[in-house]
Amino acid sequence: MEFTPPEINLLIVAPVLIIMAAGSLGMVIDLFMPDGKKGWAVWLAAIGLLLALAQNIALWNGNYETFIPQNGVAMVVMDNFAIFLNATFLLTGLLVIPLSRSYLQRTGLEKPEYYMLLLFSISGMMLMGMANDLILVFLALEVLSIPLYIMCGMLWPRPESEESAMKYFLLGAFSSAIFVFGIALVYGATTTTAIPLIFDAVAANGLNAMIVTGLAFLMVGAGFKVAAVPFHMWTPDVYEGAPTPVTAFMSVGAKIAGFAALLRVLMLALPQASGEWVTAVAVLSTLTLIIGNVVAIRQGNIKRMLAYSSIAHAGYILIAVAAAADNPSAGVSSALFYMFAYLFTNLGAFGMVIALERNYGEGNLLDDFKGLAKRHPWLSLAMAYFMLSLTGIPPTGGFSAKFYVFGAAIEAELYWLVLIGVITSVISGYYYLRVVYLMYMFDGEGQLITGRALQFAVFVMAISTLVLGLFPEGLFNLTAEATLSATRLLAGG
Amino acid sequence: MTGEQFVFLAVSGLTIVAGILVVTLRNLFHAALAMMLSFLGVAGIYIMLGAGFLAAAQLLIYIGAISILIIFAIMLTRRMMQAQDTPFNSQAGAGLVTAVLSFILLVFVITRLWRNEIFDSPPEVPTAIMNQIVVQLGSDFVSPGAYVIPFIVASMLLLAALIGAVYVAWPQVEDEA
Repeated sequence: MEFTPPEINLLIVAPVLIIMAAGSLGMVIDLFMPDGKKGWAVWLAAIGLLLALAQNIALWNGNYETFIPQNGVAMVVMDNFAIFLNATFLLTGLLVIPLSRSYLQRTGLEKPEYYMLLLFSISGMMLMGMANDLILVFLALEVLSIPLYIMCGMLWPRPESEESAMKYFLLGAFSSAIFVFGIALVYGATTTTAIPLIFDAVAANGLNAMIVTGLAFLMVGAGFKVAAVPFHMWTPDVYEGAPTPVTAFMSVGAKIAGFAALLRVLMLALPQASGEWVTAVAVLSTLTLIIGNVVAIRQGNIKRMLAYSSIAHAGYILIAVAAAADNPSAGVSSALFYMFAYLFTNLGAFGMVIALERNYGEGNLLDDFKGLAKRHPWLSLAMAYFMLSLTGIPPTGGFSAKFYVFGAAIEAELYWLVLIGVITSVISGYYYLRVVYLMYMFDGEGQLITGRALQFAVFVMAISTLVLGLFPEGLFNLTAEATLSATRLLAGG
Repeated sequence: MTGEQFVFLAVSGLTIVAGILVVTLRNLFHAALAMMLSFLGVAGIYIMLGAGFLAAAQLLIYIGAISILIIFAIMLTRRMMQAQDTPFNSQAGAGLVTAVLSFILLVFVITRLWRNEIFDSPPEVPTAIMNQIVVQLGSDFVSPGAYVIPFIVASMLLLAALIGAVYVAWPQVEDEA
């Protein structure tokens, strides 16, 4: 056989390669390190993430494509949409590491495997945003999920951690199977798995029942990852049982990755089916908003409360997805903005939960927040600010995000969806502000365990949330550029 | 009866009998062995249909990997190894209904296809091209012009799963604290 020299520019996929290489390298280094030394893994992970972030930003506006098979459609695209999401995932990793350190030490979890699995999971998330072929989307989904299943169960033999891993694994495996079935149906109807070619096939032959069924299955698979109602059943138990830094990581990373795949499939492969999927997304969004916010009120455990809160926030992002059907650029860019703001706010809130957790499972109750403001005024202020941001009160990143999402939905004339969004935001104020109330109005024994790394990370996140609240235009302009390339591909077919 | 028909009857008989044994044997370990036999029969049917590669894949994946995995799982759980319970439980009735409905569906599909001309004149694919397809499949997996990136990502996936399996299976070191 003839050998044609590969037309691959590895620099384009370098951000992912760096992360994968750092993860693999860590496993090799671990062999040669004496048992006592564990600090190197943190630095290896952090340096890997920083290098990847730098290379990722250098690719901005490049609109690269690579790994082009004979059918001429790239497997991997590096448009601004992917680059923006990559930056989100890498920042998530960079912020989770300082939050994890002292928690891992006091729960006896500080092992290099934790950081390496974190890196593998991030590489899967990045591929979710970059994949231009459903086969690759599926593989990326698994690369992101499997390390997460393990990380949830890292505190075995403690039963809560095992339960968390087992539930996540079983339901995750089911949802992956449904996702693959969806891919198979779409392939059966269009004879391709390349996202742009699916678009072409639909443009040429129109929709049929098989494509729509496949689309529904794909949405179920993605809906599970983003924890949208009615695919959310696993979320509270998994979030509660997993080690808290892992919960923080997956509440942000896995959710955003799910939306990355969902947006790419809906916007680039099946925009002609938007009449079909916009209703489904709107219904999912409504259910998610109502159930997430209402059930969160009744939770006495902060991790479960934040689990329902993260379900609720998936609902707000789904509003943006629904708006994208009518108004692609506003919908996609407001979703990206929302996820970026959510990253800082939610990780910040989880940072405080991690600091409050004395040992695994101790100090997770809402009552443990009582009286914190007297002993830790600055960190309590930060927590109060994160709670305001999650509620969506100005001037916070959360408010700007909701503002853009509702704006996009109004442009798309989804008024009733906006109405539900606003009402549920008000409801959410009840349980978010209760944390603030408990911190400031009561006396209690609660004590935070904070290292310098955690304080620094919380500080960075509070400042970022403030900046996004006061000056959202800068980031919004970036997200507007990120959606442009995604939708330009759409027009090109 | 031609030789081909005889072989077909033998192979399909093996598949069906082994399949029935899977659900009726009391010892789970024996049931797993019967399942391997049933898979072997299916591989034989693939060979008779001229799908040699599919038969090889069937042998490698179903017998070589999946069945062995199931047998490992049974052998590692001692209680299941000794279990002699009846294989029928309260869901047997529902299972029967599902099986009959699936059977009717399959018969329906096959009889509909029967009238299709594909069955009257199956396309003759020369052996050379058939072999070429397998070669193509192999080279596409590692060719930058085809599926090299999914291939690499799949290998990363396996690496991550391996690390996780080792982590979960390794004896827990006592906490220093």
